[in-house]
Amino acid sequence: MAFFQVNFFSPTLCFNTDINVFIPTPNSDELLNKKNSTYYHPGSKFQVLYLLHGAYGDYTDWMRLTSIEKYAQNHKLAVVMPSASNSFYQDMYRGSKYLTYLTQELPAFVQSLFPVSPRREDTFVAGLSMGGYGAVKLAFQCPEQFAACASLSGAIDLAAVMEAARSGDLESPFRWDAIFEDPSKVPGSDADLFALGKKRMAEGRKLPPVYQTVGVDDFIYPANVTAHQRLVEMGVDVTYVEAPGIHDWDFWDTHIQDVLNWFPLANKEVAL
Amino acid sequence: MAHIQMSFYSNALKKNANVMIFLPTQDADDYLFGSGNAKYDPNKKYQTLYLLHGSYGDCTDWGRLSSVERYAQQHCLAVVMPSAENSSYLNMDYGEAYLDYIGRELPAFLRIMFPLSEKREDTFIAGLSMGGYGAWRVGLEYPEQYGAIASLSGGMQMRKIHSGHSAHMDKMDKNYQAAVNGPRNTADPRNDLLELLKQDLAQGRQLPRLYMTCGTEDFIFPYNESFYEEAAGLAPITYVKHPGVHDWVFWDTYLREVMDWLPLAGEKV
Repeated sequence: MAFFQVNFFSPTLCFNTDINVFIPTPNSDELLNKKNSTYYHPGSKFQVLYLLHGAYGDYTDWMRLTSIEKYAQNHKLAVVMPSASNSFYQDMYRGSKYLTYLTQELPAFVQSLFPVSPRREDTFVAGLSMGGYGAVKLAFQCPEQFAACASLSGAIDLAAVMEAARSGDLESPFRWDAIFEDPSKVPGSDADLFALGKKRMAEGRKLPPVYQTVGVDDFIYPANVTAHQRLVEMGVDVTYVEAPGIHDWDFWDTHIQDVLNWFPLANKEVAL
Repeated sequence: MAHIQMSFYSNALKKNANVMIFLPTQDADDYLFGSGNAKYDPNKKYQTLYLLHGSYGDCTDWGRLSSVERYAQQHCLAVVMPSAENSSYLNMDYGEAYLDYIGRELPAFLRIMFPLSEKREDTFIAGLSMGGYGAWRVGLEYPEQYGAIASLSGGMQMRKIHSGHSAHMDKMDKNYQAAVNGPRNTADPRNDLLELLKQDLAQGRQLPRLYMTCGTEDFIFPYNESFYEEAAGLAPITYVKHPGVHDWVFWDTYLREVMDWLPLAGEKV
């Protein structure tokens, strides 16, 4: 993999922001073990995963705390890791427009500079915790842009998270009154993934398949069980996997590998 | 500008390599004044300057110690800054093949990775001190690849400088000394820029436009003078002298003149 730390001005955010990017290129492991490296040539385009961090995190988390580079190399998958602060992946009412940044500006930026495919069937999004919500949010917000999405230990049921934070059950960095104009109106809005999914289906738009995984000893486990039921009742194509584990990087480093195996990846460069 | 730190496995070097890259993108000024969208035109590519560091330096030097980003933004020029240790940008007797890396592998790699123009007239190479020698050495090794070559305070007569300034050379480990003075490198006439120039001409190869600048108070100035005297009889060279010494004030100031001299379009091509 070639590893890129990119700092650039985002007109959507109105400040400089950072992304980490991996692009599959022949590495020393492939050289030593005489593995195929013919995927890398002029004209190569790669499938791409947008990989989202959780609350308290940023664009460096996945690279530092998992072996995502190794897993993505095996799949010949480009990986883009952006920062979204503690925005819950929204266009904040009193804050920055992270949803617009991630669904509109960033894909165009990445496609214009790096050899990644712009096609829906080659574009994936995944994330952990707040980023698990974010992955489903991006996929439901713009279903024509993503082939599939994956939530790891995700806060898919935002209303439940907000209630847990309000009641003191959940330590939280979120300023709901900065994220939303009226936090009490989140249920039923586009920030409510169940409402957003139903709205898209009513519009006749095909939702990307969802992969949902969570640790059975995670504090967010019960909310994932009910979220899964609701997604099934809606008719969403959801693959649900629960496994031993809590809300930590051991879980995410292990299960991001399952996510990559589940995505319909070409495991090589793609022809446009 | 997008500021990119790249790390990748280099097959020429047989190890990971770091590269700093600036790519022109819509910046805050563009945003304020409603311009800059053409930088994302998918049908066009960037003109590119390979910019080489000096002895004791690496790929971070130009970004840290000059305002190259600002100057390149004004010209809509992509800038690629590799690391080459103290190799003099040569294929070292006892070390890595930096000449192959900078001249062959890196341009091919980056043209796959980023929208960089593949045309000769859009590809340039420049550097300071050891990197000034490196720019000419790499540029004249592959003259078909570069439209222009520029040296700032360059070690144009590398061997003479090293014998005349042995304190500088003595600070270097033996592999780097051998890169300049070792038997294999001294046996190859192409490591001498005057000989290289003569060979290119004898082979009928089309030379890039050539530029050199040096501070008149720089310890390396006499070597630039004597080099120019001989080289000017072989090929047209733009040679510019300014008051100044061997420092970043000089390089930050006169990199701008280099960019003004380069045939830059001011937009993607």
